[in-house]
Amino acid sequence: MTTIGRRPQTIAWLALVAALFFFPYFDTWPGFAWFLRNLEETTGLNLSVFEVTTFAVWLVILTGLNLLTGYSGQISLGHSALVAAGGYIAAILLDPDNSTEVPVAVAVLGAGLGACAIGFAIGVPALRLSGPYLAIATLALIVSLPQLLKLDNIAEWTGGASGINLPTPHAPSFLDGVVDDHQWLYYSVMFPAVIMTVLAWNLMRSRVGRAFIALRDSEIGAQQMGVNVALYKTLAFGLSALYAGVGGGLFAYQQQFVSPESFGVFQSIQLLVAVVIGGLASILGSILAAAFFTFQVGVIGRLTEVIPAVDRLRWAFYGVLLIVMMVSLPTGAAGLVRRLARLRLADVVSAWRSGDVGRAISSLRERPAVVRILGAPSMKQTPTMETKQGGDDRSD
Amino acid sequence: MDEFEEFAQQVVTGASIGSIYAIVALAIVMIYRSTSVVNFAQGELAMFTTFISWSFIQSLDYFWASFALTILVAFFLGGALEVLVMRPVEQAPHLNSIVVTLGLLAVFNSLAFWRYGPVPRAFPKPEILSGDPITVGSVTISQLNLGIIVIALLIMAALFGLFNYTKLGLAMRATAQNPVASRLVGINVSRMLALGWALSAAVGAIGGMLTAASLTLSVDMMVAILIFAFAGAVLGGLDSPAGAIVGGLGVGILQALAGNYISSQVDIMAAFVIIIAVLMLRPTGLFGRRVVRRV
Repeated sequence: MTTIGRRPQTIAWLALVAALFFFPYFDTWPGFAWFLRNLEETTGLNLSVFEVTTFAVWLVILTGLNLLTGYSGQISLGHSALVAAGGYIAAILLDPDNSTEVPVAVAVLGAGLGACAIGFAIGVPALRLSGPYLAIATLALIVSLPQLLKLDNIAEWTGGASGINLPTPHAPSFLDGVVDDHQWLYYSVMFPAVIMTVLAWNLMRSRVGRAFIALRDSEIGAQQMGVNVALYKTLAFGLSALYAGVGGGLFAYQQQFVSPESFGVFQSIQLLVAVVIGGLASILGSILAAAFFTFQVGVIGRLTEVIPAVDRLRWAFYGVLLIVMMVSLPTGAAGLVRRLARLRLADVVSAWRSGDVGRAISSLRERPAVVRILGAPSMKQTPTMETKQGGDDRSD
Repeated sequence: MDEFEEFAQQVVTGASIGSIYAIVALAIVMIYRSTSVVNFAQGELAMFTTFISWSFIQSLDYFWASFALTILVAFFLGGALEVLVMRPVEQAPHLNSIVVTLGLLAVFNSLAFWRYGPVPRAFPKPEILSGDPITVGSVTISQLNLGIIVIALLIMAALFGLFNYTKLGLAMRATAQNPVASRLVGINVSRMLALGWALSAAVGAIGGMLTAASLTLSVDMMVAILIFAFAGAVLGGLDSPAGAIVGGLGVGILQALAGNYISSQVDIMAAFVIIIAVLMLRPTGLFGRRVVRRV
């Protein structure tokens, strides 16, 4: 792509970063505050500073899940367990009752490193597992997590079923009058979130990212090209756990509360739903996923006020959305955005004028290259290569 | 009660809950064998069909008729799911099919929650199984639990007969083994896959109804059962029906023993440990076949 072709994209990204930087001050402007209030009352979309901070927390977590599942193709249904590990480590470090009060940055970093260590530990057995086996093992991990956290031996640390409460974070005194507590929370969460997202974006365009993608598309092929399979598969787990841990730490810091109920099977599945809807193997996808994950709560709450049945049918809605996305748009919303951006206005207009609307729409559908990246339907193309379909991914 | 009798009692208790795991594991294995899809919605599907059977019992007031009707409903529901939802992702990578079954999990969980609410309900026990417990020596087993074990064995016998002694079973096995060659010799592969899902949903429905009869009927009753059933299926080998029965029973017994001798706090963790240990030491399970893939 030429520099001219890139220009709108660059401007869009810069605008996004600037908007995020000045966001906490937007609602000091009465017009914008009025707009936000009305937006929330009509659509349930809550864009308060606190909610956007929540978005930043989930952005880190979902970027981590996307590294693992989207890029390296390993399915984890237990991502919440790693988030919980990070959350608990940070909460224990920040808890004033434990007399281990440390700076927030240290606690969050500790959470990231702790979860990263756990991730590497999980990554080693995961080396032997692939596809459904890994999904089963990680599902069992997340289901057994509440029991683990409530164990009597460690309940002194984890607070058992009642969890850990943290004090409200305050802005440092030298910033009095410049940022209030909410804005301070926003910056201290958004800053690491943006850094980690940019890091992930760069990393995925480097040797590491290409190795992940090669592994996902064909493990044997990647091995032939000189990719160290064991190293990169474990690295994917460790990296994604690092993100989950930092995200969990930020979660504990922002919500000021962790308990076994904060992390569960359904949250894990919801994370996967969000990544699939946002877009697998795409950083833009992670951003859209985090936006979906954070802001759907308010929208669905608003819908519930109008149609009461929505509350109980919430998961049916997610489920249907998940199935429809997987079947019709495997690259998620990010893929759609990419293809929309690639459309030339002139082409659309000429297609419209000639009455060929179908062609204009069909150019938005998946291209074969995208399908190939997501993994080739092997049987259809190379029927002779398969010896047996069942369990064909166990290449031990 | 001396130590051995306590042990024997735990084994019997474990075997009866293990029979339910075995039935659900069997349902999982049947789908995995034919389509190499692990159906994460198996538990919720069973729960949903059990609620349907509860509705039948309320209106018909006759247990076995509702039982049979439910199996029929589950059979067609399973087949319809394969045709409508799974077929588009049949050739896609594992991630896609797993995500779709997770979507089904969410849908059925939510539908049951919406229709029947969060309150657990008592599920009627069939009359012939609600008599006094049977005691052999000092080991006691309720008639219901004995019935569950018998039903599990009957299901396995029926499936064994179907797969090994009928032309249809042969066609299904052929489809699971080599879909392309099966299609070439004139087997309707699509129909066989749908039939696999249908049978599996029917078997799962039986598991769900037995679970509800021995515990209570609630929306989240199958979550833990599904994990134990996965543990059982992995222990026995994900592609072996006999392994599913042995694995399910084994996991049930191990769970009862771990609950009794270690702590009742650790039972689900026991399932996790079993899954990890089996996958680390013997990834094909006890009865699974080692698959060598040519590239």
